[in-house]
Amino acid sequence: MIKHIHELRDPIHAFVRLTTDERRILDSRPFQRLRHIHQLALTYLVYPGATHRRFEHSLGVMELAGRVFDVISHPGNLTDKVRDLVPELSSDKRGYWRQVVRMAALCHDIGHLPFSHAAEKELLPPGKTHEDLTALLVNSHEMAPLWEDMNIQPKRIAKLALGPKEMRDETFSVLETILSEIIVGDAFGVDRMDYLLRDSLHTGVAYGRFDHFRLVDTLRILTAPPSGGEDDEENEALALGVEVGGLQSAEALLLARYFMYSQVYFHAIRRIYDIHLRDFLSEWLAPAGYPFEVDGHLGLTDVEVLAAMRDAERKASAPGHASAHNILCRGHFRPIYFRNPADTAINPEAGGELLRALQGQFEPTCFRRDRYPQKAGAPNFPVLLHNGQVSSSLALSAVLQNLPLVSVDTIYASPHIRAVSEKWLNKHRGDLLRPSSEEDLE
Amino acid sequence: MNRMAKAALLTRLLIALRNHGSWCGETHVQKSIYLLQELCSVPLNFRFVLYKHGPFSFDLRDELTSLQADDLLTLQPQAIPYGPRLAPTVGAQALANRFPKTLASYGAAVDFIAERLGSCGVNALERLATAVYVRRQHPEASSTECAKILAGLKPHILLENALTAVDEADQLFLETRLQPMLS
Repeated sequence: MIKHIHELRDPIHAFVRLTTDERRILDSRPFQRLRHIHQLALTYLVYPGATHRRFEHSLGVMELAGRVFDVISHPGNLTDKVRDLVPELSSDKRGYWRQVVRMAALCHDIGHLPFSHAAEKELLPPGKTHEDLTALLVNSHEMAPLWEDMNIQPKRIAKLALGPKEMRDETFSVLETILSEIIVGDAFGVDRMDYLLRDSLHTGVAYGRFDHFRLVDTLRILTAPPSGGEDDEENEALALGVEVGGLQSAEALLLARYFMYSQVYFHAIRRIYDIHLRDFLSEWLAPAGYPFEVDGHLGLTDVEVLAAMRDAERKASAPGHASAHNILCRGHFRPIYFRNPADTAINPEAGGELLRALQGQFEPTCFRRDRYPQKAGAPNFPVLLHNGQVSSSLALSAVLQNLPLVSVDTIYASPHIRAVSEKWLNKHRGDLLRPSSEEDLE
Repeated sequence: MNRMAKAALLTRLLIALRNHGSWCGETHVQKSIYLLQELCSVPLNFRFVLYKHGPFSFDLRDELTSLQADDLLTLQPQAIPYGPRLAPTVGAQALANRFPKTLASYGAAVDFIAERLGSCGVNALERLATAVYVRRQHPEASSTECAKILAGLKPHILLENALTAVDEADQLFLETRLQPMLS
């Protein structure tokens, strides 16, 4: 008998199931390429277990997206207002949209460059991102016939996979906005849910775990929380929120994110490996840069980059030799300065000022700066109370009110100059912190 | 305009909005920045798309979070069920003092926007900002045509409210064109 449902074992979700049509997407070249893209770039040099790939993460995102869709579109969980604004969820189109959401979730990462995020900004043409590559692939000759067989418009896949943030020229319907939020939403996007759980498992950092079963079961489409004061009126926009019984699991998700940011994603040595990798790729791919077209992209994975890096490390004249050596021989730059409240009270961009001073005093190429204030926050989401009222999560949760945000400003020095530069920096830091140049309007 | 100069201008805007009675939640700030940028041509360079409440910038949302991470902005939780208010920190006000020329250049525009929007609720702001968005896309369309487009984009907005919003938007365009300090 021919099988119509196919199962894959997964360490997070136990089983991921696909239909035969969906498996054809899984078997396509753009998706299979993800078997060779590390989820966390070179993090395995710091956390040895972090060798997992975008392939299994994408399967997990698809699985979770389907579960979330089933919960939020269940007839018993839809209010009259939601039925009015998104009638498609209570019609015979529900099955169609479920498949679009799952396929968009499956394909959301196919545009990733080798080693994921590490060098995207430097390698792609100005203004382009890996999301643009994802859209290109979804619409390409590799995938378009598969969508046609499934009666799905590729544009819908791209819109839901990337959301309005990345598809700026597209107008999203209310339904498309909500469905894309399932995948890429700041608070409850399943992309984030899966990577926190999966990265936590593979790095061995237990802080990334949270009760995603409970969280998913309590997700609802709600109106956004109201504003207050004299401006006390019902909000008319829809957003993903939780029933009040799921608030603690939502807190746990956001705490997990904070801990994973501070322990793993912003680990100082992990970050300097990203910088060395970026330097290597920029030199190795110069002058043409990254191939922003289907076949070129499909032909480049971590495998090709690692092979080139090993070659470059052995040959002093090869492009990217120094960076390859820093990565493969543990010659990475060492941190000599971290952001701290005393310095930022004087100058919020203290690291920039100190880097300029160091580069004026020593060989400029011996230093790197890593500056990154956390972007996604979103602790303010709607919560459905027992009395049917919708409240802001921040009005209800002391945990969310006090959730820290991570801001990184680190300076690294080459190992051979580390001691002397750190000593010099400590001696002169107080004098160097004040902004040296007038940033005000000319 | 660099990041710190933008933070200084944002600080000035938040203070002005509050002085004019605004709740100063994220939606209020998003719409005020949109109109500041698009009506008064203040070069903030945030990219806006049409989103749940009308024009919305994901870049601006990220920047508002980043400013919180850098201790320049704070979220003030409110009583149940209300959403939080945004407020500049003491550090942000100190930072703003480093940008007197920026604030002098764009202060009139900031005050104009704060005065006009300070008393608006989120739904009124959504209607007005979306009307400005539609008008920019369809400069030659009649008010009625614009209102129909607006109501099509935002099905929960009644046509008569859309028409009022388009008239208000046209009035704002006219005022900003007539006052050189504002554009």
